[in-house]
Parts: sequence; C-alpha cells; structure tokens
Amino acid sequence: MMELLLALLNDAFFSAIPAVGFAMVFNVPKRFLPYCAVAGAIGHSFRTLLLHIGLPIEWATFAAAALVGLVTIGFAKRHLAPPLMYAVAAIIPMIPGTYAFNTVIALVQLTAQSEISPELTSQVISNGLKTVFILGALSVGLAMPSLLYFRTRPVI
Amino acid sequence: MYADTQNDITRQIVRVAQLLLAYGAESELVEEISQRLGHALGLASVEISISSNSLVLTSLVHGRCITTTRRTREHGINMTIVCELQRICLLTEKGLYGLNEVRKRVSRIEPRTYPKRYLVPMIGLSCASFCHLFGGDIAACVITFFASSLGMFVRVSIAKHHFNLLLNFAVTAFVTTLIAQLGYQFSLTDTPKLPMAASVLMLVPGFPMINSISDMVKGHLNVGISRWGHATLLTVSSVIGITIAMQLGGLFL
Repeated sequence: MMELLLALLNDAFFSAIPAVGFAMVFNVPKRFLPYCAVAGAIGHSFRTLLLHIGLPIEWATFAAAALVGLVTIGFAKRHLAPPLMYAVAAIIPMIPGTYAFNTVIALVQLTAQSEISPELTSQVISNGLKTVFILGALSVGLAMPSLLYFRTRPVI
Repeated sequence: MYADTQNDITRQIVRVAQLLLAYGAESELVEEISQRLGHALGLASVEISISSNSLVLTSLVHGRCITTTRRTREHGINMTIVCELQRICLLTEKGLYGLNEVRKRVSRIEPRTYPKRYLVPMIGLSCASFCHLFGGDIAACVITFFASSLGMFVRVSIAKHHFNLLLNFAVTAFVTTLIAQLGYQFSLTDTPKLPMAASVLMLVPGFPMINSISDMVKGHLNVGISRWGHATLLTVSSVIGITIAMQLGGLFL
C-alpha cells in the first residue's frame, strides 16, 4: 500500500514537469501554468493506478483522459479560459512515446533488410496498434465530457 | 443599424476568427466565439465556413448580408492570444465592451512567447522526466536532458528565421538523436534505448493532433482531416531526421 502511494507520488511529480514544459511551448499564460501541472499529475497518476489494478493500457488511458477533460472543464469555468488550453499540456505525459519509437525503429530495420522477417513485422504491427489506439483513446477521452454533458450549451 | 456599422462589426469579428485560427484554436471554438461576439454586438446572425487555409463569414442584420473571405496562415500555437480573445467575447456578451473597446483590444494583441532561456532547460527537464517515467536510470536521464535541451535550442533558433516547419522538425530530430545515441556509442547507461525514445518526444505534434480529432468528432471533418494530415507530415519528417542520425551512428542497421 505504502509502495503504491510512493509510486503514485513519484508519477505525479514527474508528469507535472512535462505538463508545465509543454504548456510553455504552447505559450499558456504564466498564471495558468500551475493548473496545467495539477491536471497533468492527476491524469498520469490516475492512469498508473488503473494499470496497477490490471486494466489494459488503452482503457486506462481513456479513463484518465476523460478525468483530465472533467478537471480542466472545472478550471476553465473558474478562469473563463478555453479548456483545451490546460488539457493538451496535461495529456502530453501520457503520449505513447516508447511504443511509437519501437514501431519506427522496426520499420526502419524492415526497410533496410532485403527480406521480410516475421519478428520485425510482428513488432511493427503490435507496437503500431498500441500507439494508434492509445492516441485515439487520449483524444476521444478528452472530448468525452463535452460530448456527454455540454451537448447544446457552450462550456463557458 | 447603418450599413457602415455592420461593415465595421463584421470586420472585427472576422479579424477575431482569423486570429483564433492562426494561433491554433479548434473550429468549434472559432465558430462559437464569432457567433457569440456577433450577437453581442447586435448582429442578427453570423454564419462561418472554415476550410484548411481560409475562412468565409457572412453577417446578417435587417435583411442585409455581408460576406467576406480571409486567408488564414498558421502562426504556431499561442494560447495567450486565444485566451485573450475568449475574454473579449465574454466581456462583450456581458455588455461591458462595445465595438470601440473590442477594436482597441483586438488591435493591441501581439504574440508574446516565453524567452529561450526558460524554454530550453524546461523542455530538457520535461524529456528527462519522460525518460524517468519510462524506467531509465540516472545516466539515461542526464543524456536525455542534454539531447533535448540542445534540440529545443536548435528548434527555437530555426523557427526564428521562418524556415518551413517540416524542415525544422527534421533537423531538430536529427540533432537530438545524434546526441541521444551517445549512450549506445560509449555504453554510459544500462538503458541506452530510452534516451533516444524520450528525447524526441518534444517533437510530438500534440496540439494539431488533439485539435484534429476534436474537430472531426464535433463535425468539422474538413478542417480535422487537414490538421491530421499536417500532424502526420510533421511526424514523418521527424522520423526522417531520426533515421538519418541513426544511420550515421550505425545503430539498428
């Protein structure tokens, strides 16, 4: 239990940093940077918790992105700012970087070889599918609150 | 309402929509803000049609229509401006702003970015924490920090000279990967693959991708697909940069 808590705290801290960094790339105003950090930390540590319970990574990402969408709509209502401003920076830590990288590496190796090897092909397919589905889960999960609750009225 | 007033209001609204599109707002937000601003300034209705590089706006009041077209260009993501425009719209809706105040505030908007001395170390730290989250050791994190800081420096310097964004991404990916593979060349770390994966993550086109999906989900299929195409092109060009750097280093080939 204590271990899980420590792991979650570690997760929250190290995903808050990229959220702030990428928010600065998107030129989010300085006074909103802490909220980006909070949203990023909540999202990534919630996903780690769900993965710990044993959910597959796609569903965990979907739920975490939906949570980030909900939290950022709360922030947006309070500050009268567009919710995507916080949300995009907050979900950056959940981008499937290693899967995407492995897909690309295997593709490059496959191109360099003269014949098709089954190991590399299966690596491309499995990593590529994971990448695509995690990205889809991220963006659709983020849109979920506005699809479910804010169907006919604007968020702010 | 006199004809020249309608002209003036339409110009302000189309300017707002143009700025929103140029600085990376999603289509739904652009449509919503321009319609609400139009209503608040006294127009009967505002219809807007957005395509990948232009927008057409028609305003209607007292049975009189004005249609105007504007070319839009990408200026990079700037959320400060989007935020400011949203605030102008809300204040106008509450009746605090009239046409003159809107014109004054819209003309005063200018893009301000964070200075390089904050941006570069912050992105280095971000990619180092990605590396830590993926399970890399301390040496791997340090390599990632230097690789992505240098990459970000290159990216900002190239962007200042208005080069094509695709070229910029390819060169940045090349430089970043060249540094990040030092872990392989000198066996500095036990997890040499992770710095290479983590340090190029700063090139992920996050905003175009999320914007494109949320555009497509909300029915703006046209703009969504063009943004998706843009994001894919950016990814492909950074992959080209990564591949060239790895071939130079003789890895995986």
